[in-house]
Amino acid sequence: MRELNLPRTDLEIREVVAEASRALARLDADRLEELALACQALNRDRGRLELQSDGGGKSGALARQAREAAGDMRAFRRVLDATRANLTVMRRLRRLREGHIEYSEAQARGWTPSEPDYGDN
Amino acid sequence: MGTINAALSITTQALDADQAALNVVANNVANANTPGYTTETPNFQENQPLEIGGVSYGDGVTETGATSVRDRVLTERLNQQQQLASSTGAQLTALNTVQALFTPDSGSSSAQAGDISSDLTGFFSSFSSLEANPANNSLREEVLSSASTLASDVSNAAASLNSQRSALDQEAGGVTSQVNSLTSAIAQLDQQIQSTSPDADAGTLEDQRQQDLSQLSQLIGVNQITTENNGISVTTTAGQLLVSEGQSFQLTTGSVDGVTHFFVGGADITAALASGGGQLGGYLTARDRDIPSVLGSLDQLAQSVSTQVNALNNVGTDLVGDDGNAGDIFSEPAQLAGSAAAMSVVMTDPNHIAAAGAGLGTGDNSNATAMAGLAAQTIVNGETPTNFYANFVSQLGAMVSNVQTENTAANASVTQLQTQSNALSSVNLNDEASAMSTFERSYQAASQVFTMLNTVMASVLNLGEQATVS
Repeated sequence: MRELNLPRTDLEIREVVAEASRALARLDADRLEELALACQALNRDRGRLELQSDGGGKSGALARQAREAAGDMRAFRRVLDATRANLTVMRRLRRLREGHIEYSEAQARGWTPSEPDYGDN
Repeated sequence: MGTINAALSITTQALDADQAALNVVANNVANANTPGYTTETPNFQENQPLEIGGVSYGDGVTETGATSVRDRVLTERLNQQQQLASSTGAQLTALNTVQALFTPDSGSSSAQAGDISSDLTGFFSSFSSLEANPANNSLREEVLSSASTLASDVSNAAASLNSQRSALDQEAGGVTSQVNSLTSAIAQLDQQIQSTSPDADAGTLEDQRQQDLSQLSQLIGVNQITTENNGISVTTTAGQLLVSEGQSFQLTTGSVDGVTHFFVGGADITAALASGGGQLGGYLTARDRDIPSVLGSLDQLAQSVSTQVNALNNVGTDLVGDDGNAGDIFSEPAQLAGSAAAMSVVMTDPNHIAAAGAGLGTGDNSNATAMAGLAAQTIVNGETPTNFYANFVSQLGAMVSNVQTENTAANASVTQLQTQSNALSSVNLNDEASAMSTFERSYQAASQVFTMLNTVMASVLNLGEQATVS
């Protein structure tokens, strides 16, 4: 039986950020989608913490994690910026290549109406 | 022409063309793992139709060779990111060594700086101790001993930085021969590619040229410009020609003010190479900007502490009765540059420490109090000595962190582009579309992760602060 690959929700923020940078470098979409789910869970936890006072325990721990992750977050942001630039290049290339394919196919058909179709006005 | 024979002839030609195309595909498969190999696609050309009696008869197809599948825009982006990754990688290695110097107990063999922060505290505290008993010989010995520890740690740090600068200088110089060898090879390949018939595909030669360009991009920052007949010109990022029309222009070196400078055709291009990227760019940035900046801060610290302490010692009264001429504790810096490397203790007799104020008896401690008070005065560039040093170490840490960030991003970008480049050179358009879709999905998911984490972090930091306050 296939084991469910559920995202871990007990990752420290720093681990999540570092793992996201690595996954983005190798364009591991599946892993990034798992991490997005883990972040949703983290966000829910954070929402609960805002509603209930825990005497500074869990919120303090999260704040510590957030401070520790600040440097990794800067790196993640730069990786994301570089990815966006790369994606722009790839999209342009893709359009260029698609245009080339369309042009070739039209050319391959090699048929251009020399006279207007009957009934054309 | 409309005979069975003609039809068979056309079919045979078609089979020949397909066989040739299969050879191209077989070659692609055989070279699937060859570094730098670019996939080729077969070219087909329709044979000229025959016209007989006003009727046109098709004459089949011929395979006219293969064309390598290249995306120059992608390759150039890859080279550019490779230059950034190599540059920040070389700079980061150098900066990590510098940082280890100022990290006490880092375990680094080059950790010669000791703990300058503790040295400063210890030195000024020794004057505080002397205040209590200004005539005490062992307390006076303690002042000279702590001064000596401070001076020795500062000068050792400066010496290590100068050694590292020399090592980087040598490494930078060593890159020259590799650059020249690659530009010569590129020029030679360029000649061969340009002399290839316009109808033929110089795929293998272009692959070799591309590999050489990729290696060159790891060494220095370059731009490539496509010229006629599939030739290229290669320039530094600042525009100096390295390869043009099948000719290479050699990079030469010479010593200027004791460090290696780089020239092309007599023009000094060192500064342009430093900002251009590649390993050489990283070495030169560390050698000419980062290390001098760190040395400059150490010089400021050494000069200010030495000058201020000496000045105070020369206005007080020492234990042997010298009033206003007790002499210097530290060697007096002649100029700012080199103050850290030259920092040393010149006083040998602790009785010459002027603990007493001017015109007061040898039992007085007012000048010792003033010297201890220097610890709290803004004598180094508008800061106290310990604050100045703490900020300097903190700024160094931030510099290392920034370069680390840039290096992480550049390496990630190179990995992404290599993956995409492999997918694009695949003949299978489905693979290409799938790779693009994965790229889009990855970016979307990563953006979600970033946005959510950003929200979580901003929020929990506020929560944490509230929790701490309450």
